[in-house]
Amino acid sequence: MFTLANLPTAGLSQYLLVAGLLFAIGLTGVVLRRNIIIVFMCLELMLSAANLTLIAFSRFNLDAKGLPDVHGQMLVFFVITVAAAEVAVGLAIIVALYRSRQTIYTDELTTLKG
Amino acid sequence: MPAYYLEAFTVTLGIFLLIAEAFVPGKQKSWVGLIAVVGLLGVLGMTIWAIGPDKSLEAKAWTKFALWDLYKFDATARFYKILALVAAIFVLILAIDYRSILARYTGESNDESGTGEYYSLIVIATAAMMWMASAKNLSMLFVSLELLTVTFYILVAFMKRNVGSLEAGVKYLILGALSTGFLVYGMAWIYGATGSLSLDAITLAANTTAPTTPLLFGIALMIIALGFKVGAAPMHFWIPDVYQGAPTPTTAFLSVGSKGAGFMALMTVMAPFSATPYAEKLFGVLSILACITLVVGNFGAIPQNNFKRLLAYSSIANAGFLLLAVAANRDGSTSLSSPQLVGFYLASYLLMTMAAFFILSILRVQCGSDNIDALDGLSKRNPILAVAVTIIMASLAGVPLTVGFVGKFFVFRAAMEAGMVVPVVIAAITAAAGFYYYFKILRAVWWNTPNHKEAIPLDGSSLFTFALTFLTIAILVFGVWPQPLMNLIK
Repeated sequence: MFTLANLPTAGLSQYLLVAGLLFAIGLTGVVLRRNIIIVFMCLELMLSAANLTLIAFSRFNLDAKGLPDVHGQMLVFFVITVAAAEVAVGLAIIVALYRSRQTIYTDELTTLKG
Repeated sequence: MPAYYLEAFTVTLGIFLLIAEAFVPGKQKSWVGLIAVVGLLGVLGMTIWAIGPDKSLEAKAWTKFALWDLYKFDATARFYKILALVAAIFVLILAIDYRSILARYTGESNDESGTGEYYSLIVIATAAMMWMASAKNLSMLFVSLELLTVTFYILVAFMKRNVGSLEAGVKYLILGALSTGFLVYGMAWIYGATGSLSLDAITLAANTTAPTTPLLFGIALMIIALGFKVGAAPMHFWIPDVYQGAPTPTTAFLSVGSKGAGFMALMTVMAPFSATPYAEKLFGVLSILACITLVVGNFGAIPQNNFKRLLAYSSIANAGFLLLAVAANRDGSTSLSSPQLVGFYLASYLLMTMAAFFILSILRVQCGSDNIDALDGLSKRNPILAVAVTIIMASLAGVPLTVGFVGKFFVFRAAMEAGMVVPVVIAAITAAAGFYYYFKILRAVWWNTPNHKEAIPLDGSSLFTFALTFLTIAILVFGVWPQPLMNLIK
């Protein structure tokens, strides 16, 4: 019988596959989309993919006591913090840009040319 | 004095300035910059006494701190810290002089009240670069690199009433965050392949096991990410726009500080693999990048009419030379090692690029233009400044007896010793192309007739004039006698 107790657990490769997909979706979004807010969300997706990879490697790299390696998890916390700081600064810049240009589309940013 | 005091003092200075700037009444803000200059000069002096943990200090409690698992201090780290501090001091002097432009695009009515934070942000970015020079763990590297990048987002978009600055800010934000994504994902794969974030453990794992696909994937992602940071082609496309739009002191700091930090990070990441059996292939990738970067930078600069954009392409070209130095992967047994070589080149690049940005800043403040034609007839308007421009451009082009030549010569020699014939030939051809566009500026200075009747007097503050004179003389002195700079690295 199929119960919660004997549910098959995902292995390392499944986690890495999901993380890789997330990263690919994020990267595609950054390259293809023109709305800066969407681009920003896709960038966050890429960071989440990296976090998931770190956590998966940490979880499947057990030490002698059978505990996961903490260094990867430590880096995840730093990544989350840095991502929050980046969003705070980034959204402020986008708001300032919207005030002066009334646009949030990257293809309308054409002031700088050489 | 434990070495980590240096960063502690620097970041404290930054926070102190931020608070002081907010609570001290008055519209004048240039004093914030002056205190920052004095404070950083103090930290620069303290680098003499900074020490890391070694055998003779076993008894001291601070040598046992867990911090030393993340933080190293050696001659190279000291050199890069000094480089970051010197760059920041010059940028602050530049910013003090540039504050009229900053004030015009930040405050309500041309007053300086919005410009105070600018100086403290520069100080905080300096602390980030100093930390990065000491990183011996990927998480340390990540946090310091991101502290630097996020600070730079603000510095680039600082002129919030100037459309160019904001656009540059948004472009830098998106590309910077994209490279962060690549960086963390690459770190995750290296961590997965080697089981550690510590560079010592990664070195051990890289030298004892055969390369696996996850490890190589991780390294590739890291090279892409750091290629964005240093402006290596084909990840260079943001550089001209961002350099042109950002306030000139920020551009100077980007092109010297941020690039230097990027190369520091690149060498820290590549060092564990420099002695492995597959090092030749790995560093071969970097030499291909170096060739593309040299071609794109030097040939892209030729049609430029905007001085700032020209310097942006020039910085891409110099990134090519620096990449060549990294790719040579010298261990230092015969001459300078690759990190020392990059350090020397960055120091020479700091002197001449910073001087070029000082000239650019005078143009912007006093002629209101960044274009090369603003320099027309400078030899008649201000002969002393014209001589300074000539020396700086000759050094950037790599004329003998200037520091620019010495740096390029060392890179060529190291690349030849490493047997990289094709990259050296490409570098020589592109360096010759470099003469053309640097001399385009000299043509404007000496041969063109002036558009503006009024001369540009060198009436920057006396500090500004002193700094520019110092840089120009240093270009000549170190060009003839590079030994003091070499001793500092070794």
